[in-house]
Amino acid sequence: MIANDPHTIFVCQGTGCVSLRSSAIQKALEQEVETAGLAGSVQVKLCGCHGFCEQGPLVAIEPEGFLYTHVKAEDAPQIVREHLRDGRPVERLFYRDPLTRSAVPYYHDIPFYKKQMRLIMRNCGHIDPERIDDYIDAGGYEALRKALLEMTRDEVIEEVSRSGLRGRGGAGFPTGRKWAACRRAPGEPKYVICNADEGDPGAYMDRSILEADPHSIIEGMVIGAYAIGASYGFIFVRAEYPLAVDRLRIALRQAEERGFLGDNILNSGFGFSIDIDRGSGAFVSGEATALVASIEGWSGEPRPRPPRTAEAGVWGKPTNINNVKTWAKVPLIIERGAEWFASIGTEHSKGTMVFSLSGKVRNTGPVEVPMGTSLRSLIFDIGGGIPGGKALKAVQTGGPSGGCIPAELADVPVDYERLTELGSIMGSGGLVVMDEDTCMVDVAKYFLSFTMQESCGKCVPCREGIRRMHEILVDITEGRGQEGDIELLEQMGETIIDASLCGLGGSAPNPVLTTIRYFADEYRAHILEKRCPALACKSLVSYYIEPSKCQACQICLRSCPVKAIGGGKDQVHVIDQAACTRCGTCFEVCPPRFGAVTRLSGMPVPVAPPLEERLVARAR
Amino acid sequence: MVSERKVGSVLVVGGGIAGMQSAIDLAESGFKVYIVEKSPSIGGHMAQLDKTFPTNDCAMCTLAPRMVDVGRHINIERLTYSEVVAAHGEPGRFEVTIRKKARSVDPEKCTGCGECTLHCPVRYEAYYPSLDVVEPELMHEDWEKVNTILNRYLHRRAPLIPVLQAINAEFNYLPENILYYVSRRLDIPLAHILRVATFYALFSLKPRGKHVISVCQGTSCFVRGADRVLERFQEVLGIGVGEVTQDKEFSLEVVRCLGCCALAPAIKVGEQVYAGVQSKGVEEILKGYTSR
Ligand SMILES: Cc1cc2nc3c(=O)[nH]c(=O)nc-3n(C[C@H](O)[C@H](O)[C@H](O)COP(=O)(O)O)c2cc1C
Ligand code: FES
Repeated sequence: MIANDPHTIFVCQGTGCVSLRSSAIQKALEQEVETAGLAGSVQVKLCGCHGFCEQGPLVAIEPEGFLYTHVKAEDAPQIVREHLRDGRPVERLFYRDPLTRSAVPYYHDIPFYKKQMRLIMRNCGHIDPERIDDYIDAGGYEALRKALLEMTRDEVIEEVSRSGLRGRGGAGFPTGRKWAACRRAPGEPKYVICNADEGDPGAYMDRSILEADPHSIIEGMVIGAYAIGASYGFIFVRAEYPLAVDRLRIALRQAEERGFLGDNILNSGFGFSIDIDRGSGAFVSGEATALVASIEGWSGEPRPRPPRTAEAGVWGKPTNINNVKTWAKVPLIIERGAEWFASIGTEHSKGTMVFSLSGKVRNTGPVEVPMGTSLRSLIFDIGGGIPGGKALKAVQTGGPSGGCIPAELADVPVDYERLTELGSIMGSGGLVVMDEDTCMVDVAKYFLSFTMQESCGKCVPCREGIRRMHEILVDITEGRGQEGDIELLEQMGETIIDASLCGLGGSAPNPVLTTIRYFADEYRAHILEKRCPALACKSLVSYYIEPSKCQACQICLRSCPVKAIGGGKDQVHVIDQAACTRCGTCFEVCPPRFGAVTRLSGMPVPVAPPLEERLVARAR
Repeated sequence: MVSERKVGSVLVVGGGIAGMQSAIDLAESGFKVYIVEKSPSIGGHMAQLDKTFPTNDCAMCTLAPRMVDVGRHINIERLTYSEVVAAHGEPGRFEVTIRKKARSVDPEKCTGCGECTLHCPVRYEAYYPSLDVVEPELMHEDWEKVNTILNRYLHRRAPLIPVLQAINAEFNYLPENILYYVSRRLDIPLAHILRVATFYALFSLKPRGKHVISVCQGTSCFVRGADRVLERFQEVLGIGVGEVTQDKEFSLEVVRCLGCCALAPAIKVGEQVYAGVQSKGVEEILKGYTSR
């Protein structure tokens, strides 16, 4: 009978679910377990992000692997009494397949999880990140034991090199080579850094891992430090991630108590300690040399390389910097071997990649797939397709340094090489899906406004060049585009890429160049016809109420924030084009069964019918 | 000028960039030039600048060639570490008394190797005169708060950024008088502190509202209409980004990604994240914070 078996209720306390008040759910469940007298056999624990944020708040029942979605605090009695006491799972809260509408009780049957290969996210959602024992029970710190007690430093580096692991922070530099360079570099002490500055807007998989499985990162760092011969480590976390910092603090303290950190780790004679440093909100400080400047207490501006940080990093000493996901992969490689890791993925890109799916896609969340998975499979099999019956238009990868890949190329297998060929980059795994309502010129402008604000201003091509490109794009989206603008943008983009000091300027024009490459027609429509095909650029769009469809319901009339809509009861509504601010409210509120408000672009707005013809005749 | 013929000598007072350029121009046109400078070296304030307005040229690159020219020019005699005491006469016939201060180093023999500065037991004594800064006062309770923060991080090798983060969190911004105090305690010039404080988006030099509203304008939020949410906040609060409402209750800021992209658009009030915010839900959220 289910009631007597030990069970664990995992309540997701990732950022997404916390924002949906999942801590109240946990409290309600704890109370309910108490009242039902199940405290002996049922434990309520928190866990990090499951990745299925769209369906949050999530509650999982282990060991069977039941998953409840959209849980509310009020559901606690039912879950505890019916499921845990009486053994009748609550079907009402199961995930429902959007097509068949059938209920899916278990995790592993949900397509979102089924098509993934969760390696570094294996523990996310399945252990309590605030308890080191959960991690150890899941096989944690075994790799550290193996590395420290059974392998030499060279063997560890050799293993990582053979696995073909490449950095997951953006550039994809082979990790083994990086470690070896740092190990060879003269100077003491050496440092290792975990780059958790995750600045790409739209990417949050590092955050998920930090919050859900902090020990895997710590373990990876200790192994790396041992191989390199480093005695200090820093984890540099973004300002916006307070929860991640809290979890890391707890994890560090516990790891120290158990002797996985400190002076004499596992009696191997090797000593290593880790400090947390917090960012202060600057995208560019995620760049390796700027990160070093930040840790040293300066403003986080990059410096020219060489010397590389492997030779002269923090306080001029050899420093090895890796991304969160890179570190988290290390224990797996040591434990399961380089051959196993190298067997996953494509020729030059090994292992799995974590993407954070977001934008116009049904299932959003961090997902892990083998390198070489196609975008289509990511978006449709795992992501569940585009909501609202819209068509896929493009996918943006690599954040502000990346590019937009059009829907026609969605079948290309994704790895470092292929994305570079397409003019984009892998980046750290941000993957924003765009549908037909997204204007690509607007998107390019958006990214440039981001890089323009985040440019540190040290070098001219980046500081001035991006600003000028942005100005041109603003002109284009506001109907002041001129012939020759496209060529000028291309020319400027290439110059900025060549002449900038760091990777920020060196990649900032990518979104513009790729959108020109794949969506030149859209640029031309803006410039030549003053038309925005996606109907997104405010200045080029007019709102118009079709007299034949308007039912004079007055909803739009009342919602208009600037009172630009005329008409009244039984009177067809008319938008005063001069007063309209094009906020789009009327378009949103018009009941879909009328669909009277339309958007026009590149054509004059039809003249409203004369007053006497505005009466709406209604059949009583 | 009394006559067309260039005779006599010229005294330039001050060896900054303007003085040096004048000395060079005069010497080039045939005058003997004396250049008096009260500090131990010519160069002046420009040597302390990183870049110069409006071209953002590197200051040292403008300055260094002129310093070398003044040093080398056969017609220029430098009187550094010297001050003008008196001047008599009229155009064409001036008589100037100059006091030369004791340098305790023979400039003829000094090669500028820097060895003695390295070994001088008194560290970091810059030559520029003190500016007589009047430090704004610090209230006792603030003083205690700041000291607690400082003590927490003083052992660090680079305490500045953590200290500023803690102050920013404690006071909601970086008050000027506290920065003065921090500068003295950490022995870091105020200019450096301000550079760091203005570089990072987290720090504010202006007081902020009781509730700081951060509206995400990251990519995922952007494609899901975060710009409209921001507009709505501006309308309802009647303030722009970076401003504070009159009753000091709210300030409005923009962030780039809260890491809650799956539930875009996201916003944050204080530390509380709200996901899936729509422009029509804005007033509802604010209601929860309006003190009655
Ligand atoms: C402007 C800019 C921002 C960056 N931001 C990040 C970041 O937020 N996180 C990260 O891991 N790497 C970031 N990088 C990449 C780092 O410079 C560095 O390549 C990376 O941390 C190395 O780790 P890896 O070898 O594990 O990829 C950024 C690079 C640039 C040019
Ligand atoms: S883009 Fe807004 S939370 Fe990430």
